Amino acid sequence: MIKLRLKFSKNGPIKFIGHLDVMRYFQKAIRRADLDIKYSEGFSPHQLLSFAQPLGVGATSDGEYLDMVLNSFVSASDVMDRLNAVMNEGISILAVKELSDNEEKAMTVSFAARYMIRFRESLKPDFDWISAMTEYLSEERLLAVKKTKSGEKEIDMKPMIYEFSFDRESESVNLLLAMGSLTTLKPALLFEYFFKSLGRQFSPVMLDIHRLDIYRSGQDEKGLYAEPFITDDIEKRVYING
Amino acid sequence: MDYKLALSDEMLLGVEKPERYIGHEVNSVIKDKSAVDIRFAMCFPDVYEIGMSHLGIQILYGMFNSYPDVWCERVYSPWLDMDHLLREKNIPLFALESQDIVKDFDFLGITIQYEMCYTNILQILDLSGIPILSCDRTWDDPLVVGGGPCTYNPEPLADFFDFFYIGEGETRYRQIFDMYKSLRKSGISREAFLHEISKLPGIYVPSLYDVKYNENGTISSMEPIYEDVPRTISKEMCPSFNDQFYPTKPVVPYIKVTQDRVVLEIMRGCIRGCRFCQAGQLYKPLREKDLDYLKKLAIESLKNTGYEEISLSSLSSSDYSKLPELLDFLIDTCNKKKVNISLPSLRIDAFSLDVMSKVQDVKKSSLTFAPEAGTQRMRDVINKGLTEEDILRGAHEAFLGGWNKVKLYFMLGLPTETDEDIAGIGDIANKIAVEYFETVSKEKRNGRTIDIVASTSFFVPKPFTPFQWAPMDTREKFLEKANKTRKGIMSQLNQKHIKYNWHEADASMMEGIFARGDRRLCRAVKSAYERGCIFDAWSEYFKFDIWMETFRDLGIDPFFYTTRERAEDEIFPWDMINCGVSKAFLLREWKNALEGKPSSNCRSSCLGCGAGVYDVGVCVEKYK
Repeated sequence: MIKLRLKFSKNGPIKFIGHLDVMRYFQKAIRRADLDIKYSEGFSPHQLLSFAQPLGVGATSDGEYLDMVLNSFVSASDVMDRLNAVMNEGISILAVKELSDNEEKAMTVSFAARYMIRFRESLKPDFDWISAMTEYLSEERLLAVKKTKSGEKEIDMKPMIYEFSFDRESESVNLLLAMGSLTTLKPALLFEYFFKSLGRQFSPVMLDIHRLDIYRSGQDEKGLYAEPFITDDIEKRVYING
Repeated sequence: MDYKLALSDEMLLGVEKPERYIGHEVNSVIKDKSAVDIRFAMCFPDVYEIGMSHLGIQILYGMFNSYPDVWCERVYSPWLDMDHLLREKNIPLFALESQDIVKDFDFLGITIQYEMCYTNILQILDLSGIPILSCDRTWDDPLVVGGGPCTYNPEPLADFFDFFYIGEGETRYRQIFDMYKSLRKSGISREAFLHEISKLPGIYVPSLYDVKYNENGTISSMEPIYEDVPRTISKEMCPSFNDQFYPTKPVVPYIKVTQDRVVLEIMRGCIRGCRFCQAGQLYKPLREKDLDYLKKLAIESLKNTGYEEISLSSLSSSDYSKLPELLDFLIDTCNKKKVNISLPSLRIDAFSLDVMSKVQDVKKSSLTFAPEAGTQRMRDVINKGLTEEDILRGAHEAFLGGWNKVKLYFMLGLPTETDEDIAGIGDIANKIAVEYFETVSKEKRNGRTIDIVASTSFFVPKPFTPFQWAPMDTREKFLEKANKTRKGIMSQLNQKHIKYNWHEADASMMEGIFARGDRRLCRAVKSAYERGCIFDAWSEYFKFDIWMETFRDLGIDPFFYTTRERAEDEIFPWDMINCGVSKAFLLREWKNALEGKPSSNCRSSCLGCGAGVYDVGVCVEKYK
């Protein structure tokens, strides 16, 4: 039994494909690639396949993850080649990593996500939003009301923002936001309250969201850190204060 | 990444299921525009999920794209949210692959599968910016061609199409494309082109025929307006499939569609001759595909799509002569690959039950019987060769095998139907319940019990069937009969085990009007569309009252098309088409029906229907 974690991209027109349909897409792609995937027991067996975190419809990504269990394989790179040979335009397998047997599912250990966010060309704000947002993010507390299954809950977004930086040239913000089993901050909520603080109207469709990667957490001598799911680069670690 | 979509992100994010409009599915075909001569937009005039489930389009799409000089793309009806958006923003309808606007294509091909999609055809033309009437179009517009079963009576759509392709699509398109290329190069006018193409077998150009009427509203004559335009159009028929194109790389949608699996067409045509069934006549003679060819198609299709399910397709799969061998192969192959096999309604007997028990969960699946009528007399009238004994024997064996859910299908309003026939529906359902209790003893039921669902639809007489002469019931009569059926079921001893469903009568009436309609109905289709009728096949959008109001305003009597009994020698609007079976044969069958005489099937003896001239398939098989 082999456990693999795959990193893939989702760009171009297929950004309009919803999460469930991406899952169905992969189930078929795995059959086309003729991978020896393991199936569950029972009368209607399904592939042992699980995805890290759903990406909103309309957002693109260069860092999506899924875990799969195979009965046998040649090598991780063979799995990658076979899948890439049957992938559709816009979806590519970027990396494949073999996991140890006791490794927890990507869904369980995801901790944060890095985004590059811009405004859609036709829906750009008519003010210097970068300066305004820099100021907004410097506030001590960023209160918001989050809708959950059980109702509404007041939260402070500030500790869920692990890192941010702006790029004037591409008119974008790079954000590392909490995305885990305990706490998640969606970019649209942050922008909604940012606009609210200015007394301006906001609609999620204004945002052009690109997910760069999904992070898990770890602990070393320097403290709690977040790092991309698949990386050999210690430099990519982001230390979380507090 | 470099790509082009016809709609902005904002628009796509503002509608339900944007996946319907973006193309880019697995196996969709992208070509270099500058390297092809012909752009073909292939349209199914209903929502994406329905259109993507249609095998015929996948066949033609694959075949056309196998020609280096043709690029075939797909178009479906924009759902109402998108329809409104396109109109509001003045964005013309586009094809999925290139996202280019439909109006710039050479051909717009529309498959016409059911009568209730007629207003959607006008929506496609309208949103594309193509004039709705053929006579208003120029070479700035694509040639609008119709195909599919409803083109066997294309008259209610005559004004909207430049030409119709009658029959199976595999045979004549290459010639049409070559003719188009050379004639367009010669600078021919659109009118002259249509005149030329009307001489090709299978092609019907409605504008080249003049229809005259009698005082009573029936047709007195239908004549070509030029001498060299054929008086009769014979359907196109594919003599053999073993060397024919079949799409083993069908387009695989991202979203779940109605037919979300590999569809393996095992044969075309039917030997059964049920007198209400149009498909049974249109696709004669029955032609089977070779077993080895089917095995190869199945393996390639599963490999190229990654589907987790495969379904057999035909009008009556139990009649495929090598069915046991085919199923053995599929069960073996699919088990290894964890692929499900979905079986079309097989005749229930020991063989099919054995197969079904291997591929389905017996506890969850149900048995389907389609007796179509409640008494043997009525079944003899419609020539449905299924007896009560067959049903009860099949049910008995199934109950022994562990099944306990039964679905029954019937029709109401069949010719010569009496109260006794209606009462027979409840009787059969009850007898099946009794069979269950007698077959499965109490201790073996494990808390389960028999569960029967009986459904009735209202009978709509169709062209090219023996019942094309038959009067259709009114809506009131239909509902009265549904009520009698319900009472008949309620009066049964086991009524609490029987659930009854019936279809809406309004839609059946509309279907009846257009099925046997003539070209005077074109005005009504156009006017109803202009009054907001669209997606008529969707009960939540079907506006029966507006249709009736339209008929009234235009002075059209809808009952002329439905409840009227036709004289034996009446000229029908579809008489210029030769579908392979002769009118004399259909009339013979109509008379047999009225006398309650069943007829044999094509394998037991030849009825001389006329399809023998094709000299293929079951017509040249040796009788068993």
